[in-house]
Amino acid sequence: MVNVIDNSGAAVAECVKVLKMKRHAKVGDKIIVVVQKQRNFGPESGPGGSVSVSAANKVRRGDIRHAVVVRTAKKYQRPDGSVVKFDDNACVLVNKGGEPIGSRLSGVVGREIREKGWSKILSLAPMHL
Amino acid sequence: MSLSSSSTRPLACIKQAIGQCRAGKQQHRRYAAAAAAPDSAYPSLQTKYPPPPPGFRTSQTTNQNRFETGLRRIPTVPPPRSTTKLCPDPIQALTTTQLLTLDPTGARTRLFSPFNPERVQVGDILLFRLKTGDPVSGIVLNVRQRHQPIDTAVLIRNNLTRVGVEMWFKVYSPSVEGIEVVKRAEKRARRAKLYFLREKRHDPGSVEGVVKQYLRARQGGVMNVREGQKGGKGGKKGKR
Repeated sequence: MVNVIDNSGAAVAECVKVLKMKRHAKVGDKIIVVVQKQRNFGPESGPGGSVSVSAANKVRRGDIRHAVVVRTAKKYQRPDGSVVKFDDNACVLVNKGGEPIGSRLSGVVGREIREKGWSKILSLAPMHL
Repeated sequence: MSLSSSSTRPLACIKQAIGQCRAGKQQHRRYAAAAAAPDSAYPSLQTKYPPPPPGFRTSQTTNQNRFETGLRRIPTVPPPRSTTKLCPDPIQALTTTQLLTLDPTGARTRLFSPFNPERVQVGDILLFRLKTGDPVSGIVLNVRQRHQPIDTAVLIRNNLTRVGVEMWFKVYSPSVEGIEVVKRAEKRARRAKLYFLREKRHDPGSVEGVVKQYLRARQGGVMNVREGQKGGKGGKKGKR
């Protein structure tokens, strides 16, 4: 189960496949997910409510989508020797061309996604580490 | 022989049996010596020359008869000089040289020395200034030294956008420009590792506010941190 941190309308997704890999996915890897839970934008949608509601219709529960892993609870080591670990696993939904489906992200993402060529996601993120 | 006779003897007279056994052994030995000595029994074993005198030693004769002039000297390689004497504790020496290059002022060593009462302890809030990117701060969960002081590392935890983030930093890493103690733990932790802070009910949350206050106080140029914090607060109120 992976948290979805964009405003595509999905809240929780399940990874069913790691693409181009025969092992677990790390930050920046593309995976295929099944949307398990939809996000309800009722209480927390503030000023941008209409935007997020329209975005919320983009995906439905049960949809099979591509996604990019942006946080892992498994710690990973950087080339400089530091080790990073997040409290949860999170991903961002993208379409098959690699464009993010949502228009904004809500949460910190790992910096490794830039090296994997996801600078678009990195620019959407409020914070990267 | 005696073996067959002893097997028929009753077991009770052990002493006699042992005596007989010893006699039998001696007899056996004598028999063996007698068998080895005479070659006359086997003509094929007889040598052409008479046997050497009893005091003869082969090595002595060869040494006496050898002439050394004109012999090629075989070069020999002396055994390598032992490095143990040269450097009794190479790991220690390496550590000292590495510490000299990585921490010439000794500030970090002092900050993490176990003999320093003001050392960094778990529960403190640290700020790591990195060569690349933004400074990273967090509560110290664990201070670890694996083999040598050069391996000392710190695990800091923070909440960024309501997501818990933990990072290990090597204290002597060249990518770490500076380590600052933002705030000391109010009370000495009774645990060496504060992993319980990962649980929701113990999570202290983000340290962003504390760090911001500290940075503001530092920018104010006040030497004492506590006074600086007060000054920073005052300044904030004044601005508002």
